[in-house]
Amino acid sequence: MSSTALALTVLATLLASTILTPLLAQLRLSRYAHFPAILGFAIASVLSLFMLRDVFLLGPAGTTPGLSLDLSGTYPFFDLNLKESPTVWFHAGLLKVTFSLAIDPLSAIMLATVTFVATWIAVFSSGYMHGEDGYTRFFTIMCLFVFCMCLLVLADNFFLLLAGWEGVGLCSYLLVGYYYAKPSAAAAARKAFLVTRLGDVGFVLGIFLLWSAGGYHTDLSAIFAHIQQHSASHGTLTAACLLLFCGAVGKSAQLPLYVWLPDAMEGPTPVSALIHAATMVTAGVYLLARCAPLFVQVPYVQIYICATGGLTAIFAAFIALTQTDLKRILAYSTVSQLGYMFMALGTVGAITPSIAVAAAIFHLFTHAFFKALLFLGSGSVMHAMGGVIDIRKFSGLRKLMPVTHITFLIGCAALAGLPLLSGFWSKDQILDSLHHAGEHSLHYRVLYEGVFLVALLTAGLTAFYTFRAYFLTFWGEERIPEEAGHHAHESPRVMRVPLIVLAVGAVIVGLAVESFTRHGFSKFLATTPAIQMANKTYEREHNVRSQSSPHFNWKVAGMGTTAALLGLAAAFALYRRGEMVAVPAILKPAHGLSLNKGYVDEIFQGIIVKPAEIAATGTRQFDGLLDSLARFVAFIPRLFAAFLRPLQNGLVQFYALGMVLGLAVFAFFIVFKVSR
Amino acid sequence: MISVWHFLSVAAVLFALGLIGFLTRRNLITMFLSAELMIQGVVLNLLAFARFHANLSGQAFGLFVIAVAACEAGLAMALIIAMYRRTKSLDSSVWQNLRETGVPATIDPDALIQPPLELADDPKLPAAGKKPQEVAGV
Repeated sequence: MSSTALALTVLATLLASTILTPLLAQLRLSRYAHFPAILGFAIASVLSLFMLRDVFLLGPAGTTPGLSLDLSGTYPFFDLNLKESPTVWFHAGLLKVTFSLAIDPLSAIMLATVTFVATWIAVFSSGYMHGEDGYTRFFTIMCLFVFCMCLLVLADNFFLLLAGWEGVGLCSYLLVGYYYAKPSAAAAARKAFLVTRLGDVGFVLGIFLLWSAGGYHTDLSAIFAHIQQHSASHGTLTAACLLLFCGAVGKSAQLPLYVWLPDAMEGPTPVSALIHAATMVTAGVYLLARCAPLFVQVPYVQIYICATGGLTAIFAAFIALTQTDLKRILAYSTVSQLGYMFMALGTVGAITPSIAVAAAIFHLFTHAFFKALLFLGSGSVMHAMGGVIDIRKFSGLRKLMPVTHITFLIGCAALAGLPLLSGFWSKDQILDSLHHAGEHSLHYRVLYEGVFLVALLTAGLTAFYTFRAYFLTFWGEERIPEEAGHHAHESPRVMRVPLIVLAVGAVIVGLAVESFTRHGFSKFLATTPAIQMANKTYEREHNVRSQSSPHFNWKVAGMGTTAALLGLAAAFALYRRGEMVAVPAILKPAHGLSLNKGYVDEIFQGIIVKPAEIAATGTRQFDGLLDSLARFVAFIPRLFAAFLRPLQNGLVQFYALGMVLGLAVFAFFIVFKVSR
Repeated sequence: MISVWHFLSVAAVLFALGLIGFLTRRNLITMFLSAELMIQGVVLNLLAFARFHANLSGQAFGLFVIAVAACEAGLAMALIIAMYRRTKSLDSSVWQNLRETGVPATIDPDALIQPPLELADDPKLPAAGKKPQEVAGV
């Protein structure tokens, strides 16, 4: 099969599982609701690996062929024909939206990551969610989510991408609100939906701006080519890029719209692992990576992206330092790591775009493994502790849950970026990009150097809070909360196997594809047409040759590792007994600020939610005023009718009399007036 | 010589009698009979004019009306029986609950005091004469 056919089969398989799962509930087979999901994800995963191989061997696929359906009156009544140009979804005036797919290294890597991680998370969920109400609902939405995510990743058309983008948003809303009877979960779901919607408004505006600036094309590749040839005005391009970035900020939880992500942890843990760590939240990163040919032309937007990423990374890491909810720590670390990816994307244009994008996507790739692993590990802990996830309430679980302990440790080490683990290679590449940008950027060297220092500091903080969570959970004397009862135990095999698989992934993926002098991942990714285009623009504008691959910088790697080791050592010194430690007086204000999440929720409450509520109350009152006016107008006819109503008294004779009298008047008129 | 005026006056009398009966009586069956009377008055008009103009269209129309009246009688009786079965009464004022909401019910200030009678499933007209006396020993 060609790579396009493989991609289409992946989408069809996932759609089929989405439809099949609820049917099982109808057949009273809810217990087996995980089968279509796991099977569908596994098939999709294998197919996307084949697609990855095809793309690797044969290069990106060309335009997507379309299907045309010809209906006729004679047998066989319809005829499917393959066309050269993609199938049109809809078109109205100048807007023409087609089903065109981008089959290139970037989408192939994303597709393989998404489906692979999703498969193991689905296996884990079949154990974790066992016996929950709405088991079928859970797997149906999971299938729909993976389908939408794959659509998002594969789309080469802005509107198709938007369809996937909104689809994953919807699934996220449904899954965060999975325990919809719980008020906090319902509120979190609403918050997640509304906050991301804020970013999406910008995204849609950006799409339309690009549509009008890009020769009324909707295909990404066509827009890029058009803007390349007829250079658009700088103002338009800046606005479009900022609007796209606005969408990415909402989806990928960057400052100031990150507030929904920590609350989204109200959903079941596998959902946090799949949607709010490994896949959906990286959609913004993916979008910016795919639009690199646009972003490379607007260096000052890049500065803004880089700074946003840096601020988000350090701020989220700062908050994570003192949180006590294991899942929230991981959520803030996700926000922080996404910040890292945006830092790397912010260097597109300051350094060779292919290298900056590769750094971001590579971090996305490794992050998907170790963050999914960490979330599943925390889910395993939560499962054993009877739903308790507060790290103050338990400790010393390493003997009780050996497999979870080892895999969680691997995840922590990868997240902290300890040498040779996957997180190390990707974090190092990002640091390297920033360092490089600090040396080679044309105008903003100081800023890039500042962001580089922020990234280093964040690396230290990351190691500290990660290992703080690890020590508090697994070290010290064994304490188990009451909720766990007497049956606190290691998780069943169906939950252990995904942990082990992902842990192996977290250890080896970095080493396998991107270690020291081998840069297979970066080189492969650089063959993506969009990124090639960005490279060409970079070469033209900077009048240099683009670098073919990153080179391992011992100095930067050393600095990153030192920061991580310092953080690890601090965590070991403070928390190795598995107990919380008192905060020295001098750090109290900072500690409070971090514990209260920087008061960002309160600030939002004050400057956005409250005024909105006041405005809503005012509008409601005004609406009431209008309503009463309308009711008054409607009252006047009723008032007159009150005089006439007694005539309708229900007596047949009375009506007959009325008719007779009327007839009499009529007859009188005819006889004495008309006939004269 | 009987002129058209004679016919017309009989028709007018019939119609007036029917009208008065319809307006004054509350028994559904009697009201229906009165309505029939009015119809026949009108039909008589048609026949009179047919004779006066010496063509048959009026006659044909009269026959037609009689046929329709027969159908209508069947329908009306079926309705009356159905209504009786619901209320056990032939009084048309019992059905005044189809009036406009909020309008008070009309109450007859000096209603007839009806002797309690054994209510049959279907309405029966009052007996046409005296009930035959029972003869002892038979």
